[in-house]
Amino acid sequence: MGNQNIIMEAKNIESDRLKNINFKLFEGEIVTLIGPSGAGKSSLLMLLNRLEDPKKGEITYRNKNINEYEMVKLRKEVGMVFQSSSLFDGTVEDNLKYGPSLFGEWDHNRGKELLEIVQLPVDYLSKDVEELSGGEKQRIAFARTLANRPDVLLLDEVTSALDLKNVELMEKFLKDIIPNQVRAIMMVTHDIKQAERLGNRTFFMDEKEIAEQGDTSQMLRNPTTESLRAFLEEGTIDGT
Amino acid sequence: MAPEISNTSMFFLIFFVLIPVSLSYFYALGLGKSIFWSSLRGVTQLFLIGYLLTYLFSLEAFTGISIMLTVMIVVASLHASKKGEGIPKVKIITFLVIVIIELFVLAMWLGFDMIAFQPDQVIPMSGMVIGNSMVAIGLALERMKSEFKESKGKIIAALSLGAKPEQASKILIKKIVKSAMIPNVDGLKTIGLVQLPGMMTGLILGGVAPIEAIRYQIVISLSIFASVSLSAMLVTVICYRFFFNNNQQLIPITEK
Ligand SMILES: Nc1ncnc2c1ncn2[C@@H]1O[C@H](COP(=O)(O)OP(=O)(O)OP(=O)(O)O)[C@@H](O)[C@H]1O
Ligand SMILES: [Mg+2]
Repeated sequence: MGNQNIIMEAKNIESDRLKNINFKLFEGEIVTLIGPSGAGKSSLLMLLNRLEDPKKGEITYRNKNINEYEMVKLRKEVGMVFQSSSLFDGTVEDNLKYGPSLFGEWDHNRGKELLEIVQLPVDYLSKDVEELSGGEKQRIAFARTLANRPDVLLLDEVTSALDLKNVELMEKFLKDIIPNQVRAIMMVTHDIKQAERLGNRTFFMDEKEIAEQGDTSQMLRNPTTESLRAFLEEGTIDGT
Repeated sequence: MAPEISNTSMFFLIFFVLIPVSLSYFYALGLGKSIFWSSLRGVTQLFLIGYLLTYLFSLEAFTGISIMLTVMIVVASLHASKKGEGIPKVKIITFLVIVIIELFVLAMWLGFDMIAFQPDQVIPMSGMVIGNSMVAIGLALERMKSEFKESKGKIIAALSLGAKPEQASKILIKKIVKSAMIPNVDGLKTIGLVQLPGMMTGLILGGVAPIEAIRYQIVISLSIFASVSLSAMLVTVICYRFFFNNNQQLIPITEK
């Protein structure tokens, strides 16, 4: 990865919930973010499209400080997928068109395209989201963010409530869209196996910090910090 | 004019107070004292208002009406804004919203000659509009706080998709205005069929012909409907911004 383009970079980030955060995100990669509950994983993601701001430090996107982008543009470029409970009341199409409509660029066919990406029938467009299964909802939440054609994609535990089949599907979608539809992905997961399956690199967060970062398989096989070693052991005992 | 209900008759209302008091005693509800005091307080308040209104009605129309409306609006806004504790400037916002509603309704009534500019007409009618707006605003403020908590995930999702705060909070404003309107829509459907509305009842007891009384009732019911919807809408449309900072980020509202 060494000489590839940096797409996002964080330098010396400090906030109430984060401490000394430094990392680079490269074009074409999936970074998986793991760590114990309360470590600050979600808090870190929220900084990258400015849903929150750090107290100190600098985050750049395509070599420009994210504070210099127009907010709406930054959030469109750096998209975030949430758990399915974040779906808006209404139909599938209401949800899919939400982002594009803000920029006045929705057309019905785009809806069909998006449903194809997440492998749902096109007549789902007019379905009320309340009628969908958990897995289908999560796929719509994913498609809703893709509708904005983001450059970077952030995901926060989007598969944690899904059954095995839907987890597999979501993982497949992620691998499909990188690097042509989306240039880089950063995803929080509590599933170490998933972090391993998807990640090119992995960041391990513990007590507000990135305690360890590196090539996924190497890092998970040979953890250098005691905290990661302990975390991995707990994980295998839990069977996750 | 002799009172139509004599003091002796009024005295026997004590039985209506004794019933809940004894129930409270029987079931050990511990409410006896507060039932007694709230009844006493209610009765005293009404007598005082009775004398006050008599006095105000004797004044020149403009003076009497202004004094009473000011008092009603101040009390109503203080009461309604309690529900919005933690929202900045909520008292003054609530006050202004009620003033706007009252002026608007008053202009309609007087402009189209529905009522005359006399204290005995303007004050009771305004009281009903102000009272109902007070309840609607209180509910809207309360709902706004709970919705911003409950629907936090949706709002953050909307922001993350590029929505500005005013766009993101539309999701909630819709819900809040709707919930302020529903009881009125339902109420209008059965109005007069189940129970006669208070004002109409009063007029009929006072000797007004039913067919006249319903005219006043229609005026007041529709005025209340309009003011309740409008006040819930205004207060939400004004206050949503306090849930966001200048960087289009959600901030938590903390109760004092
Ligand atoms: N809105 C908030 N306000 C204040 N503190 C918060 C808020 N959200 C989270 N925290 C706290 O910040 C710390 C980090 O939380 P964060 O949600 O980033 O952890 P996480 O690594 O995502 O955990 P999990 O795996 O449980 O999702 C926790 O101690 C949490 O209690
Ligand atoms: Mg989290």
